Amino acid sequence: MTRETSTEDVIARMTVEPEAGETEVREDEDTVQAPGVIETRHMDVYYGNFRAVADVSLNFAHKDISALIGPSGCGKSTVLRSLNRMNDLIPGARTEGEVNYHGENIYEDHVDPVEVRRTIGMVFQKPNPFPKSIFDNIAWGARINGFKGSKSEMANLVEEALRSAALWDEVKDKLDESGYSLSGGQQQRLCIARAIATKPDVILMDEPCSALDPVATLRIEELMLSLKEDYSIIIVTHNMQQAARVSDKTAFFNVKLNDQGMRTGRLVEYTETSQLFTSPKVQETEDYITGRFG
Amino acid sequence: MSVVAPQRERPDQFPTEDEYRHLLGRRARRARLFQVVCLFALVLAVVALATLLYTIVNDSFGLVAVVNQNDPADIVADLGYDPEVTSLGDLSYDEMVGLVATNVSSGVGRRLEREQRFYEDRLVFESDAVWAEICADAQPPAGCTSAPRDGTNLFALVQERVVVPDVIASYDLVPSLLNRAQFAEQVEAGFEAGRFPEYSSDQVSIEWRAWFNTNYLRAPQNSTPEVAGIRTAILGSAWLVSITLIFAVPVGVGAAIYLVEYAKPSRLNSLIQTNINNLAGVPSIIYGMLGLAIFVRVLEPFTSGAIFTTGVPPSENGRTVVSAGLTLGLLTLPVVIISAQEALRAVPDSLRHAGLALGATRWQTVRSQILPVALPGVLTGTILAVARAIGETAPLILVGAASFITADPTGPFSKFTALPIQIFQWTSFPQEEFRNIAAAASIALLLLLLTLNAVAVILRNRYARRAE
Repeated sequence: MTRETSTEDVIARMTVEPEAGETEVREDEDTVQAPGVIETRHMDVYYGNFRAVADVSLNFAHKDISALIGPSGCGKSTVLRSLNRMNDLIPGARTEGEVNYHGENIYEDHVDPVEVRRTIGMVFQKPNPFPKSIFDNIAWGARINGFKGSKSEMANLVEEALRSAALWDEVKDKLDESGYSLSGGQQQRLCIARAIATKPDVILMDEPCSALDPVATLRIEELMLSLKEDYSIIIVTHNMQQAARVSDKTAFFNVKLNDQGMRTGRLVEYTETSQLFTSPKVQETEDYITGRFG
Repeated sequence: MSVVAPQRERPDQFPTEDEYRHLLGRRARRARLFQVVCLFALVLAVVALATLLYTIVNDSFGLVAVVNQNDPADIVADLGYDPEVTSLGDLSYDEMVGLVATNVSSGVGRRLEREQRFYEDRLVFESDAVWAEICADAQPPAGCTSAPRDGTNLFALVQERVVVPDVIASYDLVPSLLNRAQFAEQVEAGFEAGRFPEYSSDQVSIEWRAWFNTNYLRAPQNSTPEVAGIRTAILGSAWLVSITLIFAVPVGVGAAIYLVEYAKPSRLNSLIQTNINNLAGVPSIIYGMLGLAIFVRVLEPFTSGAIFTTGVPPSENGRTVVSAGLTLGLLTLPVVIISAQEALRAVPDSLRHAGLALGATRWQTVRSQILPVALPGVLTGTILAVARAIGETAPLILVGAASFITADPTGPFSKFTALPIQIFQWTSFPQEEFRNIAAAASIALLLLLLTLNAVAVILRNRYARRAE
């Protein structure tokens, strides 16, 4: 496969995107440095003394789908997890620099990570429903966040979340069954519904389709495009076609070996998806998306 | 056997086909050898277990040569019943009280009445005036306040005081079954040799006796093995288990939750972890020393119950159920912590992340998602640890289990004995009959352990099903 055909292939998939026309407007916003929903400034993430990613400055726009792509070990998942302080759970992990959510640095001392994670939800690589009923899987998040509604209001919330995750029709008759009784793709949509039910602002998705078959992947992608109406989505993916199909902007990360032979991830290029896949500014990006390495 | 397949040229480092066949045979022989070795190990273990059970059961049942001071049949006949139809146990309460009254000296009778009355509303041995005087005393005997004796209690008393059975020889279960006649000959030979000078051979009756019987389970401790029972010991063990559970489960599970869910890896925490692992291997007698020093001596005002009352403390020293229970709790604690930790660690991190990513606090995640999944494992480990503690003897001896006690433990500040203590004491007595009742107590202890293990299995299955 030559370089041209593969790139054209990507463009062809991308032009199906309905919102291609809007990108120019957003580009204007970027040029005036409008603050996005989440903005990182010179963010470094360390695991102990090891610097996993260095100097990441990204601006994720409101109600956009932003994709993070790159070869294995480039730190894209690390970057994603540091956006809602899930990295805090890894012993020895440390984030330096700023991660601003609506202008406020979520790594300030007075910020409670619990509060951060309520507004910036997360969907994981492997579907991880709770070993509870489908209903409780969704209701629990609302309950622990102090949902005050009545029983019927809770039922409405669950239904609404399941509808938003395009799962309602499949599970409405078996809400009492275990979340584990669902197929892999359904479980992942259940996890998305669970994240939606706490009314977050941003949803982070860490390779949400890597454990799913192509049909289930397609459904999740359709779901992402519809969720974009209400939520800002940041997705890490190994699948470049997926990034091209769903995202508005794409960040390409790569690994750099430093003098001590340590592999540190860094941001290579971050721009409109259409531009990144057609005319990347950096040679490294072009090499990656055309399959010359990685 | 050779596989017909196109031969591929292999580099020199591999053996030739002939060498390979030779090696294959050697490998197969070796595999068979180790299979046999492992099977042998299993057989050895099974034989050991079977021998244990055989010994216990063999001692607990069998033929006895018994001399009754008063033959039950004669007693029944004297009261005007047909001994063929009526047995001693069928007599009414009043008739049995009458038997006790006629066969016991008035001094013993008064003592029995002070231990426990025969009737709620009237006295048998004591006069009302003296009784009122005794009960007005600063420390009245138990009979003043406790409920009157029941039929079972009275029947045991009739056995002990009226029938007064004396087992002069006993035979194990297997020889009893195989060679009944030989036992009779042995008893006869014993009489001829003058080994039983106080009885004549026509007084002796040879009968079956299950040392492990309902009366044995219900009777209190006694110095004559024929009427001794393990009621006090069973109740003592039950109290110990309860206190051990109440102490070790919340503390152990709490510590495990902290270590697994909250503690960050640090030198101090790994030191604590190492210490817990080592504590699990500390010999139980050392926990006994600890219990003696701390619970019995230092915390005496608490363990004797003195700080809970302004009057006379429930116990004059700290050698009480609560001291022993807490000592066993300490002994169990490391094992409970370790097994709870293992159960918690077995819960996948993805569940923790799922909970936390929804904006739950650590505790909410642990409480609602992690603990329910870990619960079967926690319960199983805990119950097995407690089952282990029930059989502990050494720490109880140090903490001061009573060697001879006939009163049931009534609360955490009672004096107590326990099943393993009872077994230990009885086996140290010279009379052969004590060996029989010690074996019967072993059966009771094993049954208690089996029950606890069954509870562990049932709970595990129930919660495991719920978690699915």
